Formats: sequence, structure tokens, C-alpha cells
Amino acid sequence: MFKNFGKDLLKAFNTGVSYFIPVVVVGGVFYAFSLLGATADSTSGMVATNPFMLNLQAIGNSGLKVMIPVLAAYIAYSFGGKPALAPGFVLGYLANNMADSGITSTGFLGAMFLGVAVGYWVKWMKTWKVSKTIHTIMPILVMPILTTFVFGLLYIYILALPLGMFMNWLTVILGNLQGGSAAVLGIVIGLMTAFDMGGPVNKAASTFTMALMTTTPALYIPNGAFRVAVAIPPLACGIASFIARNKYDDADRQIGISAIFMGLIGITEGAIPFAVKDLPHTLPGIMIGSAVGACLAMVQGVECYVPHGGMIVAFATNNIGLYTLDMAIGTFVAVFILIIMKPNLKKNSDPKIAERAAA
Amino acid sequence: MKIVAVCACTVGIAHTYMAQEAIQKECEKRSYEYKVETQGGYGIENELDEDDIDSADVVLLAIAIGIEGDERFDKKREEGKVLSLDPAEVIADPSGAIDRVIALAQ
Repeated sequence: MFKNFGKDLLKAFNTGVSYFIPVVVVGGVFYAFSLLGATADSTSGMVATNPFMLNLQAIGNSGLKVMIPVLAAYIAYSFGGKPALAPGFVLGYLANNMADSGITSTGFLGAMFLGVAVGYWVKWMKTWKVSKTIHTIMPILVMPILTTFVFGLLYIYILALPLGMFMNWLTVILGNLQGGSAAVLGIVIGLMTAFDMGGPVNKAASTFTMALMTTTPALYIPNGAFRVAVAIPPLACGIASFIARNKYDDADRQIGISAIFMGLIGITEGAIPFAVKDLPHTLPGIMIGSAVGACLAMVQGVECYVPHGGMIVAFATNNIGLYTLDMAIGTFVAVFILIIMKPNLKKNSDPKIAERAAA
Repeated sequence: MKIVAVCACTVGIAHTYMAQEAIQKECEKRSYEYKVETQGGYGIENELDEDDIDSADVVLLAIAIGIEGDERFDKKREEGKVLSLDPAEVIADPSGAIDRVIALAQ
């Protein structure tokens, strides 16, 4: 059962996140919208006063409240299948939304722990040898009740304290980053984003910034930095291919058009064809550009409320102007470096030109 | 040679379909029969049914997440005819991925 533990663990997290993302998108978008035209209150940040906006905020908060249960449930599902869903949802909710009842909220971390624990436990319960009658009521009574009982109590009496302390520490440290340290985090986020353009390193940065949105209070600035960064590699490659006519050929420009669109809608993978064709001259430019954009966003406190990037989510940030500006600056820097580093296209690669030169 | 595949990445909007395209292109190059199911943000598309899987020589699972209907491949799994790879691997080196999966047919 524990043979491929590492691989199964990664697969489980990915499965959970896969179902989690659209929920966060919905929660974040409605929440962001509700803050348009909100007034700044010194104690609780931005406060919406308009009744319509408050209703939108209610929709948004519904999404934000259900996202952790979804995450926990589908991590559990990956290991234990359908019978793992019920305890997964319930315990995910317990670990995130019951602060009023004195249960520590541990967001992402709690969901991860409980999801894995519930999933493995249910997987094991499926192998129990029981009588025919008991077998019938296993998935509907025995499994959900026993699982929730065991891990509910485990969470409340044992896990919540250390996990809660860690989350608190994380929130305090990352929530109070100023100046130099904020800049460093931004640079790291930017570098990771562009390094493999949607690959595992990029995914680590995205998961990390998403997890920070589930803390209490939620941290949206690292996500803001990340979402600025994701757009820069494809935008920069696309724009560079059009500006530097003697360094990119027509095929590049074809891809460049779609890369620009992909950058605008926040799909870093648009830069992959350029990177594959010429990694050494592409990677530095996009990495530095993303680092610059993300660094600026961190230092300026640009928040993004949705787990998606590019210009299409600009409205879901706390400062459309700065968000756009940081993306533009980062792209500009990346384009500059790309053009400087890239060699001119070889003149003799075209046989007709070589003939004429020889004549 | 008939290959069936499932592509499923985490976010479900880019790599899933890039992997599908990569597999299809490579199979066309080699004149292999193929059917590629995707499980992206929309859920199951181009679903593989029992006949598709039974008549296939090998199965390539280009997946990063747990997929729906994983049990469909249990029989082929027991025969050692299933290869699981990360979608990014398949996109980076489609030829290599196909080589590895058809090796299971021997």
C-alpha cells in the first residue's frame, strides 16, 4: 500500500488542487468585485457598504468557505475513492470554518493532512474482512462515521495546535514582509515562474501562493506577484519576435501571436516553443523579466484574488493600474534582454542568399 | 500498433491538450492507430470505451492527477501494457514517450 507513496502523494495533491482551483476562482472573482468602490476602514481593511456589493461578497465568501473542504475531499478521493469524499468534505470544513466554535483554522495545511490521512484510512478500510450485512452498510454508515470520528478528534485534540501555530507563524512572517524581504520573495516567485513555464517549479510557486490565500487572515500579495509573473514569459517572447525582425523568423512570429494572447490570458506555457527552440537565449530574459515584475508587485502590495493570471484577471486585483504597470515593466525588461542576447538569424541558412553571395 | 491514451493535468487547460496533440501528431507520423481521451477542466472528452481499450496494444496515461474511470485499465495493467507519465514529459519528448510505451507491447 505504501509502495509508491511519494508519487501517489503528489498525484493526490494534484487531484485535490485540480478540483479546488475553479472554486477559488469563483470565490476570488466575486470577492474582488465586491471590493470595487469599497471604503477603506482602518481596522478591517476595505469594507463594502453597498447592499448589492455585499450580496456579491456573500457569493464570494461562499466560494472561499467551500474551497478548503473541496481540496481535502478530493485529496482523500485520490487515495480512497468515493467513500473518502464525505469525511473529506466534512473534516475539511471542520479544519477551516469552525473558528467560531473554537476549532483552529489551518487552511491548506489542515486540508492536506486530513485529506491524506482520510484517504489512506478509507483505502485501508476497504480491505477489511467483514460479514455480508456489515459490508452493505460500510460505505454509507461505518466508513463515514468511523473515519470522521477518528480524524475529527485527532484534528481537534492533537493536530490543530501544532498546525495552527505553524500557519500563524507563516501568516505573520509573510503577511508582514516589507521592503527588502518582500522584494526577495517577489524575485524568487518570478524566477520560479519563468524557470519551467508551467512545469513543476512553476507549479510549486503557484501552489505556495494559492495556499497563502487560505490562511487567516488571507494573504493575497504573493499571489498578486505570481500572477503578474505568469504573463511575462509569453508576452515577452511574442513581442520580441515582432520587434527583432532579424533575430526571429516568420515561423517564430506565427507562434508569437498566440504567445501574446496566451500571456494576456495568463498561460505561461505560451513561451515554451521559444524556450524549446533556443533555451540559453530565452530563459535568462524571461526569468529576469518575471522576477522584476513579481518583485515590484510584492513591494507595492499588489493583491490578486483569483488563482489565475494575465490581464484578464486585472479587475480581480486591488490595483489594476499597478498590476498592469508591473506586468508591462517586467515584460519590457524581458524583451530588452531577449533581444540583446539573441543572435541574429544566420544569413546563409537561406540557400538563395548563399547563392547570390557566392556569385 | 494501436495506442490509446488519457491526458490529464492539474489545471486542465493547457498541458492536457498539449499532451493530446503531441501524442496524436507522433502517432500520425508513425502511422499508428490511436485514440486519445482527455480529462481537463471540462471532464472526460473523447472517452475510451471497453472496445477501444481491449483492441489497443498499449495504454499511455499522460496524467498528473487521479483520473475518472481508472479501473477501465486494470486488465491492461495486469498484462503490463500500461505506462504512466507526467504530461510535461510527453510534451517535451513525444517520440521518447511513444517509444517507451510501445516497448511494452513486446
